[in-house]
Amino acid sequence: MWGDSLLIVFISICTAFLGEGLTWILVYRTEKYQKLKVEVERQSKKLEKRKEAHGDSLDKQHKKKIEREEERLKNNNRDLSLVKMKSMFAIGFAFTALLSMFNSIFDGRVVAKLPFYPISWIQGLSHRNLPGDDYTDCSFIFLYILCTMSIRQNIQKLLGFAPSRAASKQGGALFGAPPAQFK
Amino acid sequence: MAAKNKSSDSLNKNKTSECVWKKAFSSNTEWPDKEEFLDVIYWMRQAIGIALGLCWGVLPLKGFVGLLLFVAVNAAVIYIYVNNFQNVDEEEYGGMWEITKEGFMTSFAGFLVTWIIMYTGLHGNNSL
Repeated sequence: MWGDSLLIVFISICTAFLGEGLTWILVYRTEKYQKLKVEVERQSKKLEKRKEAHGDSLDKQHKKKIEREEERLKNNNRDLSLVKMKSMFAIGFAFTALLSMFNSIFDGRVVAKLPFYPISWIQGLSHRNLPGDDYTDCSFIFLYILCTMSIRQNIQKLLGFAPSRAASKQGGALFGAPPAQFK
Repeated sequence: MAAKNKSSDSLNKNKTSECVWKKAFSSNTEWPDKEEFLDVIYWMRQAIGIALGLCWGVLPLKGFVGLLLFVAVNAAVIYIYVNNFQNVDEEEYGGMWEITKEGFMTSFAGFLVTWIIMYTGLHGNNSL
């Protein structure tokens, strides 16, 4: 059982690197993406500073300026998401295929023992396709999701691919949404 | 020329990362760059998550007590670090809540993975 769980950790490290590598080839290294990213970061920082400086003032001119900049930032964010979107779809498909392959390899196998009883709405995930009623048995998919959640994000941050805080704070839902945790 | 630039870039990077380590472990440091401080909090969280996961797995702690204790210890360590060790003005970062949230989910996932794996390896045959 221990071998299986360590293997899953290894698999998720590999898939995280593979995912980031593919995204780098398809997105991060393109000139368009880099330009847009720098632009968005610069604008978000500027906007944040401006908001801090004139946060409470009711000056109409400042408000208009801030609104205009927000609009520009939104447009840039949208362009950035569009650049990312296409390759994300491709990678998403590839990873769904990989996941279903691993799923069938580990089908019905208890890969780990949970040190706690999962709450009912997690049981569906943690006990997926497992025989018996012992809910402390852990299925492949639950451990894989947990591994991906921690490993992928850390790798992204380590490699410097994670969006900066200022950008995700200002960018709202489009850019600020957390990266798809598992595909 | 480009190679020279690259090597000096990596040298600078090494220097700054050394500097961040020093700053992180000395009290009452000035943090002109907010991102840097939040990064320190983020990585500290990850380290705490994995360390606690290892401890809980070896002990072994079981059930929701383990989960609650993790949340409490994690939040307490960061709170003490920010307020008593670094004496940072939390309002600059958008309040204590923003600092408490920083990297929490990732650290929680890392904690769960190490806890589950250690528990499985050492005590997997005993039932709860």
